[in-house]
Amino acid sequence: MDATTPAALVAARKRRPLRARDVAPYVFVSPFFILFAVFGLFPLLFSAWLAVHEWDPAEGLKAMHFVGLENFRFVLTDPWFHRAVGNTLWLSVATALPQHLVALPLAAFVHEKIRRGRDLVVGAYFVPYITSSVAIALIFSTLLSRDYGAVNALLAELTRVPLLGSFMPDHPIDWLGDAHYAKPTVAFVVFWRYLGWNTVLYLSALQTISPELNEAATLDGASPVRRFFHVTVPLLRPMIYFAVTLSIIGSLQLFEEPFILVDIEQGVSQSVMTLAIFMYRLAFGEGDFGAASAVSWLVFALIVALAWLNARLFGREGRGE
Amino acid sequence: MTPKRPWLAWLIVALGALLLIAPFYFTFVFATRPRTEIYSSPPPLWFGLSARSNLALLLERLPYWRNLGMSLYVAAMTTALNLLLCSLAGYAFAVYEFRGKNALFALVLGSMMLPSFLNMIPSFMVLDFLGWLDRPRGLYVPAAAGALGIFMMRQYIASAIPRDLIDAARMDGCGEFRVFRSIVLPLLGPALGTLGLITFITSWNNFVAPLVVMHSVENYTLPLALRSMQVPNNTEWGALMMGSAIAMLPLLVAYFFSARRLVAGLTSGAVKS
Amino acid sequence: MKRRRFAASLGSCLLGRLGAAPAQGVETTLVVASFPDLDRAAQAARAQWARRHPDIEIKLVSRQIADHHTAMTTALATGAGLPDVMALDFRFVGKFGASGGLENLAGPPYDGMALRERFERYAFTQAINKKGELTTLPTDIGPGTLLYRKDLFDQAGVGEAELTASWDSYLAAGRKLKAATGAYLLGDASDLRDILLRAGLHDGEGLYFDADGHVLVESARFVRAFEMSLQAHRDGIEGRAQPWSNDWVAGLKRGRIATQLMGAWLTGHLRNWIAPDQAGRWRSAPLPGGAFASYGGSFYAIPKQAQHKALAWEFVKLLCADREVQLQSLRVLDSFPALLEAQQDASMAAPIPYLGGQRARVMWRDIAAKVPAIPVNRYDAVATDVIRDAFEQVVSQGVAVRDALRDARVLIEHRARWR
Repeated sequence: MDATTPAALVAARKRRPLRARDVAPYVFVSPFFILFAVFGLFPLLFSAWLAVHEWDPAEGLKAMHFVGLENFRFVLTDPWFHRAVGNTLWLSVATALPQHLVALPLAAFVHEKIRRGRDLVVGAYFVPYITSSVAIALIFSTLLSRDYGAVNALLAELTRVPLLGSFMPDHPIDWLGDAHYAKPTVAFVVFWRYLGWNTVLYLSALQTISPELNEAATLDGASPVRRFFHVTVPLLRPMIYFAVTLSIIGSLQLFEEPFILVDIEQGVSQSVMTLAIFMYRLAFGEGDFGAASAVSWLVFALIVALAWLNARLFGREGRGE
Repeated sequence: MTPKRPWLAWLIVALGALLLIAPFYFTFVFATRPRTEIYSSPPPLWFGLSARSNLALLLERLPYWRNLGMSLYVAAMTTALNLLLCSLAGYAFAVYEFRGKNALFALVLGSMMLPSFLNMIPSFMVLDFLGWLDRPRGLYVPAAAGALGIFMMRQYIASAIPRDLIDAARMDGCGEFRVFRSIVLPLLGPALGTLGLITFITSWNNFVAPLVVMHSVENYTLPLALRSMQVPNNTEWGALMMGSAIAMLPLLVAYFFSARRLVAGLTSGAVKS
Repeated sequence: MKRRRFAASLGSCLLGRLGAAPAQGVETTLVVASFPDLDRAAQAARAQWARRHPDIEIKLVSRQIADHHTAMTTALATGAGLPDVMALDFRFVGKFGASGGLENLAGPPYDGMALRERFERYAFTQAINKKGELTTLPTDIGPGTLLYRKDLFDQAGVGEAELTASWDSYLAAGRKLKAATGAYLLGDASDLRDILLRAGLHDGEGLYFDADGHVLVESARFVRAFEMSLQAHRDGIEGRAQPWSNDWVAGLKRGRIATQLMGAWLTGHLRNWIAPDQAGRWRSAPLPGGAFASYGGSFYAIPKQAQHKALAWEFVKLLCADREVQLQSLRVLDSFPALLEAQQDASMAAPIPYLGGQRARVMWRDIAAKVPAIPVNRYDAVATDVIRDAFEQVVSQGVAVRDALRDARVLIEHRARWR
C-alpha cells in the first residue's frame, strides 16, 4: 500500500499526533473556501431551493411558495425549452467543432513556421477575446446589415467574378434578421471570438512536445500532415480534453453573443434563444425565478453528462503514459 | 498543409488574422467618426476627424476617467487575490490528500455550471448583509474565489512541480508554508501569468456583478458605464465607440505584457496531467 | 490646455472628488433611479427642486434601460438598495405594478386618486394595478400617430384623407405608392399587426387577457390583424425592416419607407438624427380607420421600502404633476406630457417646422384623449413575444393564421401559468 493513499494516511494519523502536514491543506484551502462558501455555495443552494418554489423576485423574499416539482414539469413540457435545447446544442456543435478543428492545425502551423512575429500573429487572433461586447454588437450589426452592410456589398461585387460568382446569392441576405441565417451568423461570431483563445491553449501545449519526436518522424519520411495526425494529435490529447471541456461548459451556457447580436424584442431572437437566454427571459422577463432555477439545474445535469462523455473519450487514457 | 505551396497556408493564416482583427479595427475607426457617419453606407473604412468631439461628448456624459480607475482597481485587486487564493488552494489539492478533498473539488467544479445572472440575487443578499454594496470590495472579494483558477492551478502544479522537490524541501526541515512560498511559488510564474491575464480580462469585461453592486454612477466600472450611455434608439455611437476603444487598450497592454508567459504558461499544466 | 484638463481630471479622480460638490449642510439625499433618455428630465428638474428644497440633494442613478429594470427587480427581491423614486418604462409597468413592492399611492398620506382628473385618462388607468392600487404616476405618453412623407404621396396622387379613411384604403394607398415611387408603405408588417390588435378596443378591455385571465388571441380581432398584415406582406408594400434596426434607419433616411405608425415622439428622432434633411416633407395624421392607440410611456413609482417616502412623493409630483416641469421635459426630451394642464399650454399650438409647420401637438392632444383605457397585465410582455413569434411563422413559414393563433393560445396559457 502506497504511503500516501487516503487509507494509509488515516491509519498513519491514528498512530501519531497531528502534524503540520495534516493541518496544512486545510489551512491552505480555507481562504478560498470561505469565500467560495459565501459567494459560490450559497447561490448554488439558493438556486436549488428556488427550483422547487414559485417566486417572482419583484414581490420580495416573502413571496416564495413551495411547488414541489411543478417547475420541472412546466419546463420539460414547455415548447420554448425544447427549442432552447435544440438551439443550444446546434450552436454548441457549430461553434465547438470548427473552433477546435481550426485552432489545432493553426497552432501547429504557428508553432512550426512562425518564429519572429509570433506574438503579433497570435495577438491578432486573440484580439476578439478582448473586444468589448458593446463594440461587437454595433460593428457586426453594421457590417451584416442586409441592405447597407459591407459584407453584402462585398458579396454583390463577387457575383461578377466568373467562377466564384455562380456560388454567390442573388439577393442580399439578412444575416442577423432572417431565422435561417441568424443561427449560423451567431455561430460564426462565437467562433470568431474564441478561436484565438483555443489557439493559445494548443500553442502552449505544443511547446511541451519534444522536437526530437517530430524530427524522428520526419527522418522516417512522414509528411507534415502525417506527422500532425500521428505524432502531434495523440500527444495533445490531454490538452484537447481540457480545451473541449471548457468549450462544452462555455457553449452550453452561451448567452452573451446571441444576446448582444439579436435584440430580444425581435421575432428572430427565438431562433438563437439559447438555454441561458431562455433562463434570463424566465427570470427577468416573465418574473418566474423558480422555473429559471429549474432550467439551470437541468442544464447542470446536461453539462455533467457531456463532461462525463468527454472524459471517457479524451480523459483518463491520455494520462499515465 | 502541402510543402509544395507553403504560401497558401501563409495566405490563409494572414487573411484569417485580418478578418479577426477587423471588428477591433473598426471600433477605433468608429471612435473617430460622428454618429451619422457610422450609420452611413458604406461604413467608413478609415479614421475620421471627430475623435476630439467624441471624447468631449463622452466625458460630458460620464465620469469616464473615474470609471476607468474603478475598473483598473477592481481588476487588479481581483487578479491579485485570485492568484493568491487559487495558487494556495490549487497547491493543496494537487499535493495533499485530505478528507473531503474530492467532494470539495466537485463542488467547485459544479459552481462553474451556473450562469452568472442567477447568482445575482443571492450575491446581492450577502453583500447587503455585509454592507459592501456600492463599494469596490463588493466586486473583488466575491470574484477572488474563481473556480477556473483553482482548476487550472491544480492541473499545473500536479504536473509541473516534481514531487521530489517538495519532499526534498521537507526533509531539509522546511515548514509546509515555506515549501509553498519558497520552492513552489517561484516555479508558478507561467501559470500565474496566464491565470492573471484571464482573470484581468474577465473582471474588466464583466457587467453583471457591477450592475448589482454599484449604485452610483461614479462607482460604475467601464462596461456598466458605457452601457448606461445607451439611449434606446438614440445612442451617441461615436462617443460610445471612443469609450469602448479606450477601454480595450489596457487589455491589449495586459496581453502583450504576459504574452511570453502565456504561451509557456499552460505548458504541461493541462497537458501532462 | 487639454493636458491641463486631463491632469486635473486625473488628479480629481485620484482624490476621489469628481462630481458635483456637495451643497452646504446636506443632510438628506433623495435617490432617483432612471434610464436614458428619461433621466434628463429628472436632471432638468433639479433646478425646480432646489428652489423648494435647497437642503435636499438629488442623487440620480442612471443605467441602460434593460439593466435598470433588472437592477430594480433585484433590489425589490431583497428589499435592499432600493431608490426613493423609481422610473419605469411602460413595458414593465404591468409587471412591477403587480409585484406588491411599490407603494400604493392611492392610500394615505399620498391620496393620489385626487390627482386622477389632472392626468391623461388612459395613462392613469395603466398606473392602476389589478387590485385597484395606484402604484405609479404617469409622466409622459406616446399618442399613436401616422407619420408620412407628404411629398412621396403627392407623387402617387394620394391625399391624407384617402390615406387615413380606413385600413383598406391605407393599404390600397400603399399599393399606389409602390407603383408610383417604388417606396414601401410600411417598415414592417408587424407594425401594422400591432396597431390592428389595438384598434377598436374599448375602455377596460384587455389586449391579450380578459378580466378573468382568459387568453383572447383566437378572437376575430387577432385574426383580422394577422390577415391584413399578411396581405400587406404579400403585396410587397412592407420593407421587412424592424423599427430601430439598421435597415429601418437607412430606409427612412433614403426615403424608401414612406410611413411609420408610431408614437408622436418619433418626430423628434426623425428630426434629430434619422432624417434631419427631410425637414418639411413629413406630416403627422391620426391613425387610419379611426384607431386610437398609444406607444410607450414612462412612469414613476415609490418602492415600499424606500427611505424617504414623503420627499419621494414630492419629487414624483414635481416630475408628473407640475406644469412647468412637464413643459420643461417636453422641451428637453421631446416627450409628450401626461399632465392635462401642460397639454393645454399655449406653446402646444406652436407649429412644428419639421412637419412643415403643422400644429401637430394639438392633434396629438386630441388623439391622446381618445385612446381607450386598456388595463395592463403582468403577462403582457410574454403574450407579445408569443404573438410576434406566431406572426413570424405565418409570414416566413406559411403557417395558416388560425393554426398559428391556436398554437399561440396554447403556449400563452402554458406560460402565463400563475395568471
